[in-house]
Amino acid sequence: MTLSFAEIVGMDVAKQALLLLAVNPALAGVAIAAPVGSGKSTLARAFAALLPAGTPFVELPVGATEDSVLGGLDLEATLATGRRVIARGLLARAHGGVLYADGLNLLDERAIAHLISALSDGVVRVERDGLSEVHPARFLLVGTYDPVEGEVRRGLLDRIGLIVPVPPQTGERERAEVVRRNLAHPPNGDAEDETTMLRAMIADAREHLPTVHIAEEQMQALVQTALSLGVEGNRADVFAVQAALAKAALDGREAVDDDDLKLAVRLVLLPRATRVPAQEAPERRERETTPHAQGDQPGDPNAPNPAQATLEELLLEAATVDLPAGLLDLPFAGKRRSHGGSRGAALSSRRGRFVRAVAGDPRGQRIALLPTLIAAAPWQKVRRAERNVGACLDVRREDIRVKRFRDKAGTLYIFVVDASGSMAINRMREAKGAVVRLLQDAYVHRDQVGLIAFRGQQAQVLLEPSQSVERAKRALDVLPTGGGTPLASALLAAWRMAQQARARGIAQVTLVLMTDGRGNVPLRAAPAAPPSRAEIQAELQQIATCIRAEGIQAVVIDTQVNYLSQGEAARLAAWLGGRYVYLPNAKAAQIAMAVAPR
Amino acid sequence: MPKPIVTSPARQNGKLAPPAPMPNYPFTAIVGQEEMKLCLLLNVIDPRIGGVMIMGHRGTGKSTAVRALADVLPKISRIAGDPFNREVVEEGDPFAPPHRKHERIPVPVVDLPLGATEDRVCGTIDIEAALTQGVKRFEPGLLARANRGFLYIDEVNLLDDHLVDVLLDVAASGWNVVEREGISVRHPARFVLVGSGNPEEGELRPQLLDRFGLHARITTITDVAQRMEIVRRRRAFDADPLAFLAAWEPQQRALRRRIVAAQKRVAHVEMPDDVLMCAARLCMQLGVDGHRGELTLARAACALAAFEGRGRATLDDLRRVAVPALRHRLRRDPLETTDAGERVLQAMEKTLGAEARSGSL
Repeated sequence: MTLSFAEIVGMDVAKQALLLLAVNPALAGVAIAAPVGSGKSTLARAFAALLPAGTPFVELPVGATEDSVLGGLDLEATLATGRRVIARGLLARAHGGVLYADGLNLLDERAIAHLISALSDGVVRVERDGLSEVHPARFLLVGTYDPVEGEVRRGLLDRIGLIVPVPPQTGERERAEVVRRNLAHPPNGDAEDETTMLRAMIADAREHLPTVHIAEEQMQALVQTALSLGVEGNRADVFAVQAALAKAALDGREAVDDDDLKLAVRLVLLPRATRVPAQEAPERRERETTPHAQGDQPGDPNAPNPAQATLEELLLEAATVDLPAGLLDLPFAGKRRSHGGSRGAALSSRRGRFVRAVAGDPRGQRIALLPTLIAAAPWQKVRRAERNVGACLDVRREDIRVKRFRDKAGTLYIFVVDASGSMAINRMREAKGAVVRLLQDAYVHRDQVGLIAFRGQQAQVLLEPSQSVERAKRALDVLPTGGGTPLASALLAAWRMAQQARARGIAQVTLVLMTDGRGNVPLRAAPAAPPSRAEIQAELQQIATCIRAEGIQAVVIDTQVNYLSQGEAARLAAWLGGRYVYLPNAKAAQIAMAVAPR
Repeated sequence: MPKPIVTSPARQNGKLAPPAPMPNYPFTAIVGQEEMKLCLLLNVIDPRIGGVMIMGHRGTGKSTAVRALADVLPKISRIAGDPFNREVVEEGDPFAPPHRKHERIPVPVVDLPLGATEDRVCGTIDIEAALTQGVKRFEPGLLARANRGFLYIDEVNLLDDHLVDVLLDVAASGWNVVEREGISVRHPARFVLVGSGNPEEGELRPQLLDRFGLHARITTITDVAQRMEIVRRRRAFDADPLAFLAAWEPQQRALRRRIVAAQKRVAHVEMPDDVLMCAARLCMQLGVDGHRGELTLARAACALAAFEGRGRATLDDLRRVAVPALRHRLRRDPLETTDAGERVLQAMEKTLGAEARSGSL
């Protein structure tokens, strides 16, 4: 049973975004952040129903293999007919229709890469298993993800025109309405009428779209807003303009108006913000009131003219009003979650380098086609004579070869750096050096580095496991220091990161703790009385034991100068079953050496 | 007598032939990103420069530029239907077509898509022949198709390591050797390797970076006027690609002519001793290992002079190509915060300063 588009309650922003997409395919897609059970897939299906009858609707499942995404040789048919028969992949099958991906953030890394290239080229290129094919693949992408389960890869998000952030908590009345509508199914005539009406509206708007006008100043306001929000790349500008045009077309207007621009900012630019514009806004307001400050940089061609500034400000203000829970929840700025992380690369035994083909059972393994055929080839004449089967290839069970892979998953180094207290700045600099050095030395091993810093009330994941030196540097550059020492929280965050890495098939995890070991902020919110040292120590011991039980390696680098140390760091190392290294003035190179496997 | 190798029926068959692809955005209509465009053009003028690696943010037009390049390249002559685009073949070559007729084709720009398997890259046994006739026959792969042209890999950092190793070996030697599944083939595979990637997706192995002649870095354009121009052009292109192409055809044609002229000229461009000396000093000062740095510098400077219609490379040519030619060859220092390109520029100014002083004596 499905609800029609009009019947779906809530998710208004998402619905609006989908309508824009239906009107203007140049927007490429809609990414909707929504928690489990919020009716994402109902919405996607209802959306497809708005498009002309016969429009393909293809689902891209999270576990889709490269073969099924790209397409390839249809083994069964090929063997049966003795000619190569090609099976089109999911991307190609969605051509001219809707591709629905539930769990954009959970897709396999390779599937994402193929999705990206289909989005930018409109075709799928298959160069595998002896095939060389180009299949058309222009589709509208409707992607959803639950932000709790990790980020969507940004390269992918960047190519999706409209991004709908997490909706605010649905109100009581709306919830009741959801239930009521669901109970009231099958649909009443109203809903059907509404669907017909929406279809007509979309068709009208599509026709009308090429003639919609956008003024230079409006375009400039969008570009300027993108700049203020620190939007990376130049693709977003194009999407923003297209979104504004689509909105105007949908409303049956000849020209773009301010509301269209606001919507474009909200759905295109704001979700891509890497900077908080609010910090700049007061400054600018000040500039307006002080007359001589107007001509700050008269020669600067980028300096907005006053009228421009107001339009841009208007857009920013309107947009920031409905900022969800702060900029950090936005996908492009979301480098600093306290938990979570991409499970994106889930899949294991079938990755890595294809080493050799061996005879084996094809169930659950990848068939190595060529070796199979080669194994079968010499026997053909004999078998034909035996069985009289004509020109088909006779492949038997004993011919079948399966692929063996060697996984080079490498090690994940989780750096947990104490950013509290006065030593912090120096410590962070050296930790940064060590991280960067490890990354640079370690490509061959495919190692990754994650980064957790702790200070104040709780630990922060600065960098999800990554191989990118650039991201590591950037993450470290923005870290504030000083305050309390929430060591327990840091250990917990590291443990979570390790768990997630394990789920992705990274078996080796090494924890590198740079601290004096003196945790003074407990995990649980402080009750009436401040927690005793003993309580905190007990907590630490508990988590450390957990980590040890998981078989996670640990190195504790004690950064406290000797005469102040009371052996806390050494004790922590013992609990973790790890190595203890005393490096009060640790230099990057020393840390990297201490951490490297012997 | 082995039958000549032709491409597989799957591709000749009209029904399965690829659809008319979306036309490429014209190269000359790309706004900004001069370094990237220059690096690509220099490689067209002198393929010995050794390719280019383009690193930059998402959405900055990396793939657009590489794909657009195909349309401004001059045509080359080959024996009609030769699987390796060869102009001459020896008698008795098993892969050569039976005739010696020539045809003119656009310089091949071959896309190496992610997920390409090694057998398709290097070439492998023809499955259909194996299936229907039970014989082993070689079917050329992407490397064959890229001979005398360009091989483009988007998102190099996501490519399997072993495939990268294969590509680098072939790019360095100019020959593809296939020894697998009982076939043994060696064929020419000279191509300019063009890679692109986003530094956020993971850093490249230094050994890999070294093998590219030039390394262009691009960033988001922050100039409002330029950004608006991008939006305008993109919108016009999306609305009516053919009209847009027609409008840019004069510029495209002019660039094509300029490239042809430069290709003819480049072999005769003179490299004065003082410029060469300066290139060597620059590399010494930056501590660049080996001589690949100087060589690339010299070739790129000559190509630039040829592109601008001059018969002599100058210090200014050197200055303009120094950053992309050297930025990926510097020793790595994890704590160094200055951008590698900056460091090259600083060293360049120093060297040029010394040059000016010694010249005045």
